[in-house]
Amino acid sequence: MATVVVLPKQGNSVESCIIVRWMKNVGDAVKEGDGLCEVETDKATVEVPATASGVLLTQARKQGEDVPVQTPIAVIGNAGEDVAGLLGGTATTQVVEASTPVAAQTTTPAGPAGVTGGPAARAPGGAPGGEGGSSPRAREAAVDRGVDLAGVAGSGPNGLVIERDIANAPRMTPAAKAAGGTIPAVGTGLAGTVTAADRMTPLAAATPAVAAPVAGAVTDIPVKSIRKVIAERMRQSISTTAQLTLNTTAKATAMNALRARYKAAGESVGLAAPSVNDLILLAVARTLPKFPMVNAHFLGDKIRQFSDIHLGVAIDTERGLMVPVVKDAGRKSVAEIGREVKSLAKACQEGAVKPEQLSGSTFTVTNLGALGIEHFTPVLNVPEIAILGVGGIVLRPYEGAKGVEFIPSIALSLTIDHQGLDGAPAARFLQALVKAIEAIDLVVAA
Amino acid sequence: MSEIYDLIVIGGGPAGYVAAERAGESKLKTLLIEREEHLGGVCLNWGCIPTKTWLACSKLFYQASHGAAFGVNASNLTLDFAKVQERKAKVQGQLRQGIKGLMRKFGVTVVQGTAKLVAAGKVQVGETVYEAKNVLIASGSRPAKPPIPGLDGANVVDSSGILSLSALPKKLAVIGGGVIGVEFACFFAQVGVAVEVIELMPEIGGAIDPDCARILREELSAKGVSFRLGYKVQKVDAAGVHAVDGGGNAVHIPADLVLCSVGRTPNTENLGLEAAGVDLDRRLIRVDDQGRTNIPGVWAAGDCCSRIMLAHVASRQAEVVVNTIAGRKDRMRWKAVPGVVYASPEVAGVGLTEAAAKAEGTPVIVAKWPLQANGRFIAENDGKGLVKVLFHATDRRVLGVHIVGGAAGEMIAGAATAIEAELRIDELAEVIWPHPTVSEAQKDAIYPLLHH
Repeated sequence: MATVVVLPKQGNSVESCIIVRWMKNVGDAVKEGDGLCEVETDKATVEVPATASGVLLTQARKQGEDVPVQTPIAVIGNAGEDVAGLLGGTATTQVVEASTPVAAQTTTPAGPAGVTGGPAARAPGGAPGGEGGSSPRAREAAVDRGVDLAGVAGSGPNGLVIERDIANAPRMTPAAKAAGGTIPAVGTGLAGTVTAADRMTPLAAATPAVAAPVAGAVTDIPVKSIRKVIAERMRQSISTTAQLTLNTTAKATAMNALRARYKAAGESVGLAAPSVNDLILLAVARTLPKFPMVNAHFLGDKIRQFSDIHLGVAIDTERGLMVPVVKDAGRKSVAEIGREVKSLAKACQEGAVKPEQLSGSTFTVTNLGALGIEHFTPVLNVPEIAILGVGGIVLRPYEGAKGVEFIPSIALSLTIDHQGLDGAPAARFLQALVKAIEAIDLVVAA
Repeated sequence: MSEIYDLIVIGGGPAGYVAAERAGESKLKTLLIEREEHLGGVCLNWGCIPTKTWLACSKLFYQASHGAAFGVNASNLTLDFAKVQERKAKVQGQLRQGIKGLMRKFGVTVVQGTAKLVAAGKVQVGETVYEAKNVLIASGSRPAKPPIPGLDGANVVDSSGILSLSALPKKLAVIGGGVIGVEFACFFAQVGVAVEVIELMPEIGGAIDPDCARILREELSAKGVSFRLGYKVQKVDAAGVHAVDGGGNAVHIPADLVLCSVGRTPNTENLGLEAAGVDLDRRLIRVDDQGRTNIPGVWAAGDCCSRIMLAHVASRQAEVVVNTIAGRKDRMRWKAVPGVVYASPEVAGVGLTEAAAKAEGTPVIVAKWPLQANGRFIAENDGKGLVKVLFHATDRRVLGVHIVGGAAGEMIAGAATAIEAELRIDELAEVIWPHPTVSEAQKDAIYPLLHH
């Protein structure tokens, strides 16, 4: 004889519960007292126990449904038992769609968010919230507490936002609700309220700790002008991007040979030998057009790709790091790029560089090879989506026809913003760049 | 071995006594050390409270003597300055008793003497060394003394000394047209003393909103205060103040009393701070958002560590420190610090000014409402007034409110609440503002911009 399990009353005030999760599947053997499913009341999540032993024959209600108390939710009986008649009337007349608003079943008055509207306003039929949607009770609670469902991580099945997630959600100011960005667990506003600034620049809230005293003489250098700009840009870069660095090497044989030829004969034909960096810039400028996803800015709500190549070049100066821009490098020869880098570097070192020469880059190259660095992790020049770090030329063993050969190779480190660019396309760009560098004589001639 | 306190507070002003009160309330074993005779600091003894008492007397006198336009005629009005001083003393006495009572109520031990930080957790007063888990430096500030020759003369007073006058001067010269100088100028002008204010900057009021400062200056000028803006004081002598104007021309400003009010200097000397290794930023103690110094267990609050030297800032900093010590999460925020000039007209501001917004690159829209279009203001005043609301150009949250006219200082707490809560003009417009009040001018200012 099959037994119909009804949703038990959960205290006097609870009229309905959300089925958060079925703990037993149809066909599972159950013992009396086993948890059948988890349901959520307005106060807690509780387990509904099986009221008989046997096999779970029917789940009368779906996960996420709002079920009135004392209505059937399951049938337990013997395997193969026909239970079609058992639920007949009740189930079909009382099925509540998961997306039906439950306003009619509650007596909770509209809270402040009901006045101001916004993302948490009562939306019949909708299932706002995280990717898993939200339970009707969670939506009610969100309205009452003024919580933005869009920013709440669901802890229910498949990321379903349930009521306790709302209870744990941080309070936000009206301006913070309207702002975009991540929601920290605790904000810097009144009694930990999340402010607009907390969402826009999470790290701005963190003030540097006061340092403990250190024995001996100290020198305090005020952080201002270029150092201040660098500090802000670097912190912004690290705090607003998802940085991933890919490392590889390119054989430098062709570059070395080309430079040797320039040195040997170039001057007699009026050509100065390009530096390693000039050649790398050229290779980058010639490779980027085939990879528009790399020659791009990540702007949060959009990725902006550029048809022209404007290369930022990191320059070390006494006052600090500066990044002047070689405009339209895609259309310039290696000699033009070389001359321009030289004059920009001089302007930076002399403090004569103009603001417009320091902005408008689409991709940046930074080179520490001359200082003996083999590999490093460049920090993105935001909002650029990628930056190339160039290391020094070292001998690397390769297996050749006559056994192991040592071939001069140059290290390449590409940091990408994984928010906007994935590892594989970035790796394909690096592969193409390696090919261009290894055939640099052809690239120069092209 | 003496007992170990949870907290020793050095200084009994609006930072120190509030810290002691809150700590006692939190059942922390607290010792408060004050070098002066009375608790309450500059605020109660030489600042906020005595000056507000003075200003109340002078406002009443001025209104009584200028009531003709309101149909109020009074003759033979006199100002009994001795009575004014008596009232000041009475007000102070009542509040001093109040603080004493609070210390008793919350079990705070109060010691009179000059404290010195011997090491983290050790404070010496005379021969006695007290020990504590935490030490809060709340040593306050004093009137700054610029290097102007003649300031030691018998005819020169600072903002503390002027409060002990036994008779009104005939002519007062005020060096420094900041908030303190302007309040004194207003007091003396309203009781019929000739007042001349000498200010180095092109406008009075220091950092207050320039539109409010201009109206304040015009209203005070109408009460007889002369302003010399852009003047640099060269020296002071028995004949008054010698200054040069913007063009370099020497000017003699005769006065029988000279008030020097050119800002305040933090009291961070002779406290043992250097020896203990406490980090200073110029003269201010360097603290983080919870009031920690670089030495674990040593905290600071108030004028000794704050660029905004105001009593209410000091008290709030003190509360943050005590909350942090007591394990409650709290932090100091600086985006909604109200400032009030208790002159007539009263000026109050909170949050960003247009200049500050521009400097930090925040796009703002400014909503203005002249109080000549406000019912209650017109009924009660013949002069000018202004309300300005600054809000963020894109997300519309209120960032600054500046008011001249009406009980501006009383209204500004509401604006501070709006800024702290990041209310947008959309929320502010749905608040029911009482009518007729000066406060509703804030709503009138934002409404025309609401649906754009």
